[in-house]
Amino acid sequence: MTVFHFLNCAALTFGPHVVYYSATPLSEYDTIGTCVKAAVVYLGTALVKLVCLATLLKVPENDSFDPYQELMKIFIGFIDVAGLYFALTQLTHRNISQNHKFQAVGLGWAFADSVLHRLAPLWIGARGLEFTWEYIFQGLEANANLVMTLSLAALGSLMWLRKNKPRTLVPIIYACALLLATMPSITSYLRRSLEWQTPKVVGFELFSSLVMAFISWQLFSACQRPM
Amino acid sequence: MSSSPSADLLASASSALAVLLVLLACVELGDAAAAVGVYRLIQYDLAGAPLGSPAASLNHHAAALPLPAGADLSRSALVAPLLDLPLAFLREYLAEKKHLGGLLILLPKKLNDEDASANSEGKGQVKSSLAELEKLLLHEEVPYPVYFAFQDDHFDNLLSDIRKIASSGQPASATTGGYKLVVSTPEPRKVPSPTISNIQGWLPGLKGEGDTEQLPTIAIVANYDTFGAAPALSVGSDSNGSGAVALLEIARLFSRLYSSPKTRGKYNLLFGLTSGGPYNYNGTNKWLRGFDQRVRETIDYAICLNSVGSWDNELWMHVSKPPENPYIKQIFEDFSDVSKEMGVSVGIKHKKINVSNPRVAWEHEQFSRFRVTALTLSELSSPPEFLESTGGLYDNRESAGAESVIRTVRLVSESLARHIYGLKGRNIDVFAENSSLAINPHYIQSWLDLLSQTPRVAPFLQKNDPFIAALKKELSEHTADVHVQSDVLDGMFTFYDATKATLNVYQVASVTFDLLFLLVIGSYLIILFSFLVITTRGLDDLINIFRRPPSRKVKGA
Repeated sequence: MTVFHFLNCAALTFGPHVVYYSATPLSEYDTIGTCVKAAVVYLGTALVKLVCLATLLKVPENDSFDPYQELMKIFIGFIDVAGLYFALTQLTHRNISQNHKFQAVGLGWAFADSVLHRLAPLWIGARGLEFTWEYIFQGLEANANLVMTLSLAALGSLMWLRKNKPRTLVPIIYACALLLATMPSITSYLRRSLEWQTPKVVGFELFSSLVMAFISWQLFSACQRPM
Repeated sequence: MSSSPSADLLASASSALAVLLVLLACVELGDAAAAVGVYRLIQYDLAGAPLGSPAASLNHHAAALPLPAGADLSRSALVAPLLDLPLAFLREYLAEKKHLGGLLILLPKKLNDEDASANSEGKGQVKSSLAELEKLLLHEEVPYPVYFAFQDDHFDNLLSDIRKIASSGQPASATTGGYKLVVSTPEPRKVPSPTISNIQGWLPGLKGEGDTEQLPTIAIVANYDTFGAAPALSVGSDSNGSGAVALLEIARLFSRLYSSPKTRGKYNLLFGLTSGGPYNYNGTNKWLRGFDQRVRETIDYAICLNSVGSWDNELWMHVSKPPENPYIKQIFEDFSDVSKEMGVSVGIKHKKINVSNPRVAWEHEQFSRFRVTALTLSELSSPPEFLESTGGLYDNRESAGAESVIRTVRLVSESLARHIYGLKGRNIDVFAENSSLAINPHYIQSWLDLLSQTPRVAPFLQKNDPFIAALKKELSEHTADVHVQSDVLDGMFTFYDATKATLNVYQVASVTFDLLFLLVIGSYLIILFSFLVITTRGLDDLINIFRRPPSRKVKGA
């Protein structure tokens, strides 16, 4: 029954991406090309990040939380933002609306992230005889990550693509984007320094992704309003 | 299109719902897979009849006692602590040829746990049930895999979990989750031509001037190998590790005496550590056969040491010649003189040998068959049965005390010295304490410790085994002409390898859980889909999706 479990976990991990694509107008306007391009950009970004991590970081001797190293990691994490910037602004998408563009980029980005980080452990681990909750949590994490990437892409499109936005909202947009970009470091801090258990961390991730999505939505609709 | 961020929100809401459902389904987090070292029940053929357990690989769900009524164990592995396992149950299964998926017997922690030694009653119970279990399993063919493991916290948790599942009323099967025990080992193979290695060493005596006759020889012999239900646990501290240790100490004491020409006696001393003891002293037979007839005839008498590690004040001298025989009488007198001084008693037991009977209960009987006067010193008052008292599961370091070995060494070496130097009747302690010839308790302790950590079932000890090399080296420290004689164990026995294995314990999810999980994920994805369609395209679109096949929809678009 282990293949069953594997399929369940895979559905939880990758299902939402597919559902999101097929349920929203993304599928109607055939934005798969944009998704694939974003995924390719993600791969490039991941490569650059790996090189940076390998050159700038020491191998940790223990599992403790080293502030300097973590700071470096946050800075390296911003490479993600640069990658998203590249995907949103530099890639030429044939007549795709801004709304669809950020969704397609966020979706492609999150899907590539899930495939790269979660598929191999799932394939190796979830088919083992031993039952663990690990892969279920991993699937939930993928969900939270999707929501967060979409929020970040939405904020990114506000920052870089929309010219006429309410001036008062600009600092808030930047602050939220910064918070979203540091989210991986925050969860890593919770996990390692405060020694939160996986269920708690995943719960936090889901909750925070929910909150951030709500805020992004509010900001997005505020900018959408005609001034 | 401001509605798509709200779809994110809805996605989050549904994911939160999913978390809730999963958290409801999850009661406690599962343990990781554990790997435990386990010891397989011996598998051997005796004169063609398969005995022990021919099965090695195990892949079944774990079950625990007490069993639910009418439980079918043919597809489950029974995990039972030794003291909870009713032997009647096992006998019934063996007699009725009922099949069991497997059996994992949990031995009390290290057998010499503080708890067990604290109450001697519990210890005695462990010992007796182990002996009975071993006897049962050794002489039967057990068609399912049987493993031994030491009980620890992990197994305690496992047992209580299994009982919890069982008490909820469902039978142990794939639908209740629980634990799966997996041992994946290759099919056990025959041990090709099992060897037995006998180690001998000489302490040559001093010939007088112009003495052309061969000096008489006194042999001291002990078998060092063991046999038990789990070959990898068969350390035999008492049977016959204690005898081997006593022999090494006697060799050490006399090597000191024989190192100076002044104190070198007029007897050659021959020390023999023999193998194949459990198999009717097959090794002793081979060893004696290997001697030249003339050398064999010089052996005045042989003292065999067997199970001398746990006696208090009564030791038995087993002989196959009548006690009235002058030789025997004289040796017995030597022993009883010393024993009286030591405040212990030595009894004599006479058992005639029957040459037509292949069973050889005592090592000295092999000597007697070669017409060499011999005796066995043992704490056992009656001859052991075949494959009994050969270093079974219970025979560990706890069952052999250095004190008993020291007493044996004193008794044997003191009486030997009086015999060799003709000090009979004179009250002289040759090996008095605090003298340079004193018995060394640390030496005995450390050798007992070493032997108690080394499983020594002869077929699994290759002739170049480090343990045999260590024995050879130790004997050559004290004696001369040390020689290892390797021979093939006689063909009645066939042994199979795979004595040790690794048991993987997996906590597995039940099929019901998987189905439930599928249901949760399916509904989550469907809800997510519906919400996204409604919020981004409107309710009508959702209904349209179900109304028309998508291919026509695309065409229409």
